[in-house]
Amino acid sequence: MNDETEVIHTYTKDLLLPIVKRVKSYFEEEMKIDIFNTSEITSPKNIHLKKNTIMIGTSGSIKLIITLGYDDLLLSKLVEVFVNGDEIEDADVDEINNSVACEISNTIIGNAINNPVDKSDIYITPPVMVSEAKTLYKDKHSKFIYVSFVTKYGEIQLTAVGPKEQFEEKLDFKEI
Amino acid sequence: MLKVLIVDDSLIMRRNIKKYMSSLGHNIIGEAKNANEALDFCKDNKPDLITMDVAMPGMNGLDVIKKIKDISKYFTIIMVTSYGKNQIVKKALQEGAQGYILKPVTAEKLYESISKIYPEYKNEEESEEE
Repeated sequence: MNDETEVIHTYTKDLLLPIVKRVKSYFEEEMKIDIFNTSEITSPKNIHLKKNTIMIGTSGSIKLIITLGYDDLLLSKLVEVFVNGDEIEDADVDEINNSVACEISNTIIGNAINNPVDKSDIYITPPVMVSEAKTLYKDKHSKFIYVSFVTKYGEIQLTAVGPKEQFEEKLDFKEI
Repeated sequence: MLKVLIVDDSLIMRRNIKKYMSSLGHNIIGEAKNANEALDFCKDNKPDLITMDVAMPGMNGLDVIKKIKDISKYFTIIMVTSYGKNQIVKKALQEGAQGYILKPVTAEKLYESISKIYPEYKNEEESEEE
């Protein structure tokens, strides 16, 4: 990330803060994994996505792509919690890893998504795993929002990507 | 003991729901990872209860409810969804689902949802309290 700017209170925060809170409550209450630190919500010029990144789109009056990325060790821990001691056949390991990451992301975003602008429903797409994800570079028509969370097993990375005008006009985005 | 069909594209969810249902004493007679598999299963089998994920690739859970109800209006369906606040739950119930579970799914949530539809599956202590 570079040239980050801090996002001040706007509809953007009203949209993202419930998701940020749900990431924390989901990890701490459901997975029993403490979050030691949460970064500020920033707007970087590029984002280096984690290897295990889940992408979910929103539709309705707010159109965004939301990603949640997990470090390898953290994803292993999440799988361990989800399977709760059950054996996983070798052939199923990759699919289980993907489905755990997808399921957690879908639960967090689905539980927390709301529409601060006009209160109409926002729908989300089924989650998609983007494995070996690389760097996203912003062009002049798009904007990135970024938050990260630190656990003892590694980081969770939350991003929202959308058209610049949507953030600036509809979501009342301001930066300092 | 209920005969249960689990419809979910996620392997971990099918595994976990199967485990929770078994712990509640129910019998998993089928698993489907998409709408077509679910519909094929329901043409040839008669599950007492279907758990259905809302967000699946291709045909979503709401569309599948309609088609399953076309096969038989007597199928009992519990929707599984991560959405708490919007119209999806309302629409699912309008389409004929008998209940829904908000993710994350737990054995307790399944038990509560099943007990509302089938009071005879409430455990003894709870039935006595009522």
